[in-house]
Amino acid sequence: MRLLVENLSKEYHGNVRALSEVHLALGPGVLGLLGPNGAGKSTLMRILATITQPSSGRVLWNDSEIAGHPEPLRAVLGYLPQDFGVYNALEFLEYLAAVKGIEAGAARNRIRELLELVNLTEAIKRPLGGYSGGMRQRIGIAQALLNDPEVLIVDEPTAGLDPEERVRFRNLLSELSGERIVILSTHIVSDVEAVATRIAILVHGQLIANDVPEALLALVSGKVWEVVVSSAELPALRLKHLVSSTAHRSDGVHARVVADAAPQNAARSLDPSLEDAYLFALGRQRNKANGGAA
Amino acid sequence: MTKAIAVWAIARADFLERVRRYSFLLTVAFALYLGYLATTGKLMLRVGNMQGIFNSAWIGGLLSLVASAFISLAGFYFVKNTIERDRRTGVGQIIAATPVSKFTYLLGKVVSNFTVLGLMVVILAASGIVMQLVRGEDRHIDLWKLLAPFLLLALPAMAVVAALAVLFEAIPFLRGGLGNIVYLCVWIAGLSLPLAANTHALDLVGMFVVADSAINAAHLSFQNSGFQFDLGYFDYPLSTFRWEGITWTAEMVISRVIWLGFSLGLVALSAILFDRFDPSRGRLPRERQKITPIGVPERHIASTQVTATTLTPLAVKQAHSRLPGILIAELRLMLKGQKWWWYLVATGLVVASAAVPSAEARGMVLAFAWLWPVLLWSSMGIRETRDQTYQLIFSAPHPIARQLPAAWMAGVVVALLTGCGFGFRLLLGGNLKGLMAWAIGLLFIPTLALSLGVWSGTGKPFEVLYSLLCYVGPLHAIPQFDFMGSAPATAATPYPLIYLIATCVLAFAALLGRKRQLKS
Repeated sequence: MRLLVENLSKEYHGNVRALSEVHLALGPGVLGLLGPNGAGKSTLMRILATITQPSSGRVLWNDSEIAGHPEPLRAVLGYLPQDFGVYNALEFLEYLAAVKGIEAGAARNRIRELLELVNLTEAIKRPLGGYSGGMRQRIGIAQALLNDPEVLIVDEPTAGLDPEERVRFRNLLSELSGERIVILSTHIVSDVEAVATRIAILVHGQLIANDVPEALLALVSGKVWEVVVSSAELPALRLKHLVSSTAHRSDGVHARVVADAAPQNAARSLDPSLEDAYLFALGRQRNKANGGAA
Repeated sequence: MTKAIAVWAIARADFLERVRRYSFLLTVAFALYLGYLATTGKLMLRVGNMQGIFNSAWIGGLLSLVASAFISLAGFYFVKNTIERDRRTGVGQIIAATPVSKFTYLLGKVVSNFTVLGLMVVILAASGIVMQLVRGEDRHIDLWKLLAPFLLLALPAMAVVAALAVLFEAIPFLRGGLGNIVYLCVWIAGLSLPLAANTHALDLVGMFVVADSAINAAHLSFQNSGFQFDLGYFDYPLSTFRWEGITWTAEMVISRVIWLGFSLGLVALSAILFDRFDPSRGRLPRERQKITPIGVPERHIASTQVTATTLTPLAVKQAHSRLPGILIAELRLMLKGQKWWWYLVATGLVVASAAVPSAEARGMVLAFAWLWPVLLWSSMGIRETRDQTYQLIFSAPHPIARQLPAAWMAGVVVALLTGCGFGFRLLLGGNLKGLMAWAIGLLFIPTLALSLGVWSGTGKPFEVLYSLLCYVGPLHAIPQFDFMGSAPATAATPYPLIYLIATCVLAFAALLGRKRQLKS
């Protein structure tokens, strides 16, 4: 089970480059694909889901190129796009099961199992139009799992979900990862922090990082600090340093700063988080684009 | 077998989705209305000055031609939205990632379209039985004679229409308003060309099959038969003749079955042209349009670096938004994206409608000049729902007192700019009555567009109705439908006044429609 992305580039009409020379080698596990809005994540997802053709480069599924022969990948693919509409969950799942070529009897059993898995058995009876964002996403993941996919692609699955639904969805993905390639695209770091076995960061169509979480954390090891400043001093601190988060306390604003050296004498060293590593990587990329100017 | 199951699943899901929609009731109502028109004699088939006795054969022939001719128009617009729905809801991308082939998917959609159209035909056929009993001219119901024309004439025509609807959705530039107008032209050509050229090969509707047999029974020759549909009552009585129906030959049946093969060919063509929901094959996806190209620095870590942000205070806070400002904004929005050649053609038509010497010819040019911006007008009243900006627009100050009139006025300005050549010539000639008729047309068009847009939420009804009106009225100089005063004689008739009243009613309807939108 191997999905290989080689020199993948995509240009849209009007010479807008969405992806540039992307390399990825994927095996079983969860790849967390991080990047700001407009980084090219959805384009990459659509290419991997065989919907969009790349401008150059290739995608290989078990050493077979998918551009000319997408069927072998499609047969084992589950895809949950960023947004989709559902009218009736059961009919929708039955419909997609038939489209995916699953025999009717097997489809019925499979759908029943999946509805239990995503905790939607009761909701099936719900009146039409009564699906919340979280329920729609659970229907989405159920349809993606209909054919017991070896490759599961989920694009921004937690957008619009409340915190409880997000946690539930992340847990579900984690349980499903097993012997599958799961590609989880998001711009929310906490989504991948919990489940990803590997993390790739895409910025302006370029892959700026592709490693295990520990390696990304090592990038900012010894570079994360906590400083306490007054509210008035905070803007100046932000101008000078990369501030990944702030929290107001009775003694002032506790700012989490990513910097090579301690920003203040009183600064306290902290264990880095993936959020720090992600922001650090983005900042480094931005500086590079600016020609090295800080 | 798996492919057949997939086709069935796609068709079933699509059909069920449609049946639940309010618009499906409209399709049923339309079929019933056609049946009503035929039963009450408002829609009749005439062979010279004769019509058939209302036996099963005549009713079957009449209603199957009604189905082929009229459902092929309205039905197309009812069903031409099936791929678009999958595209809009995002379900298309899920389907695109499955092993289903483009042909299988599109065939499923065609089958769904055909089921909807076929249901309309079935309703019409059922109304035929009622019609025969109500008319009471011959109470013996011969089911084969009544239903065979539906089966062999109407249904193959519906299969072609179902496939054409999918083809139009598969071709990017025919998906939208342009496709709606192009189909209207195809429909007009499809009805008129076979009769004009006297060629049976292009006869999708099956007009010749019925005509040849009925004309024989009426002992007339084809040239002087005047075999035609008529809408409305006659002021002179028609004599009757007895027609025992079509004697079906193998050649006739094969000629109809060929149309089924043709529709399968259309599905294959659609499969070649269909983009399989790949957004990169069409226009730039929406989320990409705002992307800064690589290399241009962007501040994407907004939370980490902040400069002191201050906004210039507004010197005078506007309690009321200004109408001229909104009008200009609406006009810019309406004209946004038009290419240079659009303006060139519009200018050419303005010049021609002023410069052509013959008044009749100028009228024809005006019809084209006011047909040219049809896609601009058809977006009136629907933009807010189509672009999902209604929450912003309707929460702005005075959405009814400012925005709606501004949108309407923008439509009037477009009508004024594109029709000014004709108006200028009337003014120059001192033809004030003609000028009045023209001005009423100028107000009528955007009002019709706005009203239909607000109530239907789609540009389709305006595109079809307006194009049809232009074709029947100004282009054929029928004064009842000459809403723009293009024919010199129209100004002297009461019709401009009727269109003025219609304009007022439509404006009021638009207002009510927008109020309803605000409340919902």
